[in-house]
Amino acid sequence: MSAQDSSSGVPHLPGMEVRPVERNVYEVQIGPAHPGSGHMRIIVELDGDVMVRVDPDIGFVHRTMEKLAEGRDWIKNIPLFERMAILDACNITLPYVEAVEKLLDIEPPERAKYLRTLLCEINRIASHLYGMGIFGVFLGHSTLYMWAFGDREVFVQLAEDLTGARLTHSYPVFGGVRRDMPDDFPENARKAVRYMRNRLNEYAKIFLNNPNIRKRLEGVGVISKTRAAELGIAGPNARASGIKYDVRLVEPYEAYPELDFEIPVFEEGDSLARAWMRVEEIRQSLNIIEQAVDWLEKHPREGFMHDKFWKAAPKLYKDVYEGNIPYAGKYRVKLMPLFATLKVPAGKAAARVEAGRGEMFYYVESDGKDVPYRVRVVSPSFRNVIAFKYVMPGHRLMDLPTIYGSFDYFPPEWDR
Amino acid sequence: MPARPSLKRVPRATFLGRAIAGNLGALIVGVKYFIDPNRITLLYPHEYIKLRQGYRGYIVLIFDKCISCASCARICPARAMKMVTMEVKDKKLNRAMKKKYPVINYNRCIFCGYCVDVCPTEALYHVPYHDLVYLNMQDMILNVEEFQKEPEFVTAKEGVPVTYVFDEKRGLVKVSVEESSNQGSSSQPAGGGGSS
Ligand code: SF4
Ligand code: SF4
Repeated sequence: MSAQDSSSGVPHLPGMEVRPVERNVYEVQIGPAHPGSGHMRIIVELDGDVMVRVDPDIGFVHRTMEKLAEGRDWIKNIPLFERMAILDACNITLPYVEAVEKLLDIEPPERAKYLRTLLCEINRIASHLYGMGIFGVFLGHSTLYMWAFGDREVFVQLAEDLTGARLTHSYPVFGGVRRDMPDDFPENARKAVRYMRNRLNEYAKIFLNNPNIRKRLEGVGVISKTRAAELGIAGPNARASGIKYDVRLVEPYEAYPELDFEIPVFEEGDSLARAWMRVEEIRQSLNIIEQAVDWLEKHPREGFMHDKFWKAAPKLYKDVYEGNIPYAGKYRVKLMPLFATLKVPAGKAAARVEAGRGEMFYYVESDGKDVPYRVRVVSPSFRNVIAFKYVMPGHRLMDLPTIYGSFDYFPPEWDR
Repeated sequence: MPARPSLKRVPRATFLGRAIAGNLGALIVGVKYFIDPNRITLLYPHEYIKLRQGYRGYIVLIFDKCISCASCARICPARAMKMVTMEVKDKKLNRAMKKKYPVINYNRCIFCGYCVDVCPTEALYHVPYHDLVYLNMQDMILNVEEFQKEPEFVTAKEGVPVTYVFDEKRGLVKVSVEESSNQGSSSQPAGGGGSS
């Protein structure tokens, strides 16, 4: 396509829209690489300091996850997809693993399901704390930033103890998980849970009930229930507007049907409700962690990998698991060499989970080869970003970081 | 018991509550942490974290255990591990023969640990540290000889090992390794379980 000239004489490039702006309306570009916008650019038209038009231009972070996946063996896609949102690694890769398991027609054993659930909830807390920390930066509340990132460390440490890596766990694999929890894990997890419960009350005191912060959040960026449904907003943001939708509720997966927890729903739909939403969700995740850890402790350490893969395991694999080989670590589940060359029966499957930011959906198609024929990903941030266009106009420019932060938007995640 | 939705409300703020409870509450919490802070900052490299055995750090090859099956290179998602052909003396047959052994390129490795987990003879293992520096990119591509040596952990020579323990009141607390082994080593077997 050749560059055309627009009426104003400005070259018009494909994918770029040039419009004459009205008098007294200024176009301000927030980002990319602005502390208030992440990796994206928000084109804002301002009348005075009131936003009249907001156009989120999502840009690039690391494109072609879906396309790359078509050229890689099934198992190699797990670390690849993880990179979409490494702070929520287990939730991001789990639906892929589940979809492939559907194609392979296997179901992970009970213990593996609990271990996956456990890591998913640890990740959810870490992801919410990350979101709250960034929200703090946006509002100039550096205490919240320091606190949230410091407390996130507690859960990152738990995840590290469980999986051996801080962020890129690659924990769920087809048919099971890659590790069992270490011996001191239940004790540590309970300490972390008790700590965080108390800490959340302090978050409320220093941040959410702080009059200065409330003034900036209350009634800002209100998105009504119908509007949220119309735009297809996902996850905690939708629930903050009163939509009772959560994958764990409508289509429970892994160990969730056995666990007792609430799905908090708010009706206000403003930035404050979205901030409270995350606090309430962390509370529920703490309950889930406690229940999962109790269950795991009570039940014998067996069944962390589907029999199809583990049946033929040589004795050495069991020795590694039991920690009989000094240099190898303990409770490590070895992968069968078969995993490297796995061929998945032809078919189509879809799976979804509730990730930290909302529903994570995968559609996987196989034609019987050792690489996927097609993988399609729908990530929550992609669905949430559209809200900026409709929610921000009418607010002042300084409300932009508030609204942006309250949506917990994570640019790399949409870019798949 | 499946999940159930529950309607929550943002606490209402009255004028009095705003002025007194809101501001005062925030101030009191602030003062509390001003007097009694919990610092978890690591003074690297004067201190370094002693990681536990299961940590997915740098990878080492145990040459004698390798059966040249190439599973590790096949599963590597980053194509960091490759097989190279070497002339070795076969002990059983007592003659020289060509065999393939893995080498690693740390420019590419993402430390996913698949290679270690897939090796059928446990010929690969992780060392529990990850903070190494190479002077140039060429040095990050190891040959079979280098791959068999545990990388030199320079920080350990200069720094004090610390570890983080979980605490109900303070979340994570930084303690020196000796302290932590005195506290709770009984429940932590060597390898996998313990942080010491
Ligand atoms: S750790 Fe992962 S990326 Fe690194 S060499 Fe092994 S398989 Fe490849
Ligand atoms: S998987 Fe293990 S035995 Fe096979 S080539 Fe690699 S290091 Fe050698």
